[in-house]
Amino acid sequence: MTIRSTRLVIVAILATAALGVLPASPAFAANSTSCPLGALKKASKPVEITMWHWMLRANGDVLQKLTDAFNASQKNVKVTLVNQVGWEETLAKYKAGLSSGDLPDIVQLQETDQQQMIDTGTVVPAGVCAKADKYSFSDFLPRVTSYFTVEGVQYAMPFNTSGPVLYYNKKAFAAAGLDPEKPPTNLSELRAAAEKLKANGVATPMGLKTDPIFLEQWTAMSNRLFANNGNGRKARTTKTVFDSPVGRQVFSWMAGMVKDGLAETNSDIGTGASDNFLGIRSGSHAMTIDSSAALGTVTAILGAGNDPNIELGVAPMPGPGSGAIRGGVFVQGGELFMVNKSAPAKQAAAWEFLKYLDSPENMTTWAIGTGYLPIRKSSASSTEMQDYWAKNPDFKVAYDQLVNGPDSIATAGSVIGPNTEVRGAVRDAENSMFLEGTDPKAAIAAAAKNATAAILDYNSRIGA
Amino acid sequence: MTVDTVDARALHRRRVWGKVGSYTLLTVLAVIVLFPIYITVVNSLLPSREILSQPPKLFPSNPQFNAYSDAWNVGHMGTYLKNSFIVTFLITVGQVVTAILAGYAFAFLEFPFKRLLFVVFLATLMVPFEVTIVTNVSTISDLGWYNTYAGLAVPFLATGFGAFLMRQSFLTLPAELRDAAALDGYGHWRFLWRVAVPLARPAVAALTVFAFLAAWNQYLWPLLITKDDKLRTVQIGLKQLQQSSIDQLNIVFAGAVIAVIPLVILLLFFQKQLVRGLTAGAVKG
Repeated sequence: MTIRSTRLVIVAILATAALGVLPASPAFAANSTSCPLGALKKASKPVEITMWHWMLRANGDVLQKLTDAFNASQKNVKVTLVNQVGWEETLAKYKAGLSSGDLPDIVQLQETDQQQMIDTGTVVPAGVCAKADKYSFSDFLPRVTSYFTVEGVQYAMPFNTSGPVLYYNKKAFAAAGLDPEKPPTNLSELRAAAEKLKANGVATPMGLKTDPIFLEQWTAMSNRLFANNGNGRKARTTKTVFDSPVGRQVFSWMAGMVKDGLAETNSDIGTGASDNFLGIRSGSHAMTIDSSAALGTVTAILGAGNDPNIELGVAPMPGPGSGAIRGGVFVQGGELFMVNKSAPAKQAAAWEFLKYLDSPENMTTWAIGTGYLPIRKSSASSTEMQDYWAKNPDFKVAYDQLVNGPDSIATAGSVIGPNTEVRGAVRDAENSMFLEGTDPKAAIAAAAKNATAAILDYNSRIGA
Repeated sequence: MTVDTVDARALHRRRVWGKVGSYTLLTVLAVIVLFPIYITVVNSLLPSREILSQPPKLFPSNPQFNAYSDAWNVGHMGTYLKNSFIVTFLITVGQVVTAILAGYAFAFLEFPFKRLLFVVFLATLMVPFEVTIVTNVSTISDLGWYNTYAGLAVPFLATGFGAFLMRQSFLTLPAELRDAAALDGYGHWRFLWRVAVPLARPAVAALTVFAFLAAWNQYLWPLLITKDDKLRTVQIGLKQLQQSSIDQLNIVFAGAVIAVIPLVILLLFFQKQLVRGLTAGAVKG
């Protein structure tokens, strides 16, 4: 290619790129500081609102039933649910809608999308409406409301909540001489159990998912911060602080488990994300840590009668350190945001619907129908919930775990804008440790460095 | 017995064994490649419970077809399939027509800034669609095409790749052909459709298949630009099915089969043309 045409190509690429990439000029947007409750009264009825969600099948059916009941119960508000397939798709679609204006009145997002959603400046904070409406969150589990409170404002309405638990095979435990009713409670007990299981012929006793959330949970369980500025809750976080004694301890622990053949890793993303469960099923694993949200599926598979060698046990996630756990797990799952681009009457209608969804009775229905946790104390203590738990004790484990331990800024969990990138940095470090034998200390230091770089990059991008 | 015949026999034997060897290898490879498709069909015919059995069932002893009707009705695959057909048809026809016209212009016409324009066309190949997705969504919304077939199809009616492919194909036609056609009184329009396009048929077929595949497999764009189930396409339906509960695995497999059938049919019809189109450039000096 001649110099002339090379230059032509470059000019053309730049011209095309400039045409295509330039974003729509960012409108000045700020989250609402008031809630137009009165607008609903004045509006012509019914006020129609749309909610984007990513609940599918059984979970989606329960949500639809609750919504239908709401629509039938009154004439002021009519809610239409639109399924956006998955949380990634929902966020992508919401972001695209920011420039085109095609936004819902309520959007369900993943818990980790919280900071990004706040940064869009399109939220009517649930806390603001609660205050205007004299609605109290005191019946909600403190761990849940604290997860959704950033710099003193509760932005989202909590909704579908889960937590990490230990899944184990009671029959393999019994065969190895372990007490199946006394699963390991901390990481050293877990390793000891794995050694016994391995001696008894379980190939790699633990299926260890390279899920970066484990590091976050273990940090919270030690009552330590994951990111600075109070986990990003006092002010926007500017760096990660997980390269701590606890972080290094869990990284060395994981590396040791893998190196000694006590654990086999599988990715938490892509097609291998269920390999830890499949390993339990095939008998090559006897333990794994995963979200309680998987419990319904796992129970259904193992309950199909094809697996006589497996009796599923569920226990709280074993934490670092011995003795009593000093911290606690933070919530995983999803939450609901009201959107301030909607007309005032729609914002008020959205608040009515959120109050309805999170009412004690509906939270009970939701928890029993989906396997998510009841996030209100009165739902948890209701007769239906207690009866359900008596019959399905495995479903109670994640709830008990969530109310255990102190409610602190550490157990509230971190709130980070570029969560995907931060988790990617942790995942990469774990993989370099498992696959290339990188020293755990060097691995976690690299993770912290890359994660901090991602945070700084994000902060400068949004001009914070 | 002469030396020659011994040699000939040995040669013949070697040829036969060589053939046996290569056919065995090809059969093994074909089985490996086809197995996932086979097992998908098998699993779509099994009751959900049996899909999970160990060892896995390799043959449906008692095939059940209700998964297909479930995927079609409950999973809305019928509606999604219809939408996919409409959108894919529009996109494929649009892309092929615009590519032929643009490719012809770049190959046979002289006009100002031809080189620069062509480079701009090429440059669009280097901008991934994801980069422009947000601006595209707002453009389509501003045009009032949010949640319409137009919104689904229009952004893909013309591609730089198509124009490039057709231009390259037209350039291989000898210039004398154009001159001869001109002597016969053919204008550009008649030359294009009567001579150039028939001669460039492998490239047209290849482009058709590429456009069809790309349009059929679209996921993110249809999801962003549609409001509800009425206009969504088959890949979205498949993803929805995929995330369904574990006791309905057979429906997921049935949905996958439904989504892939049109592609298989297309490939069966176009296979020859496609291979010719792909290798056409390889033998030209």
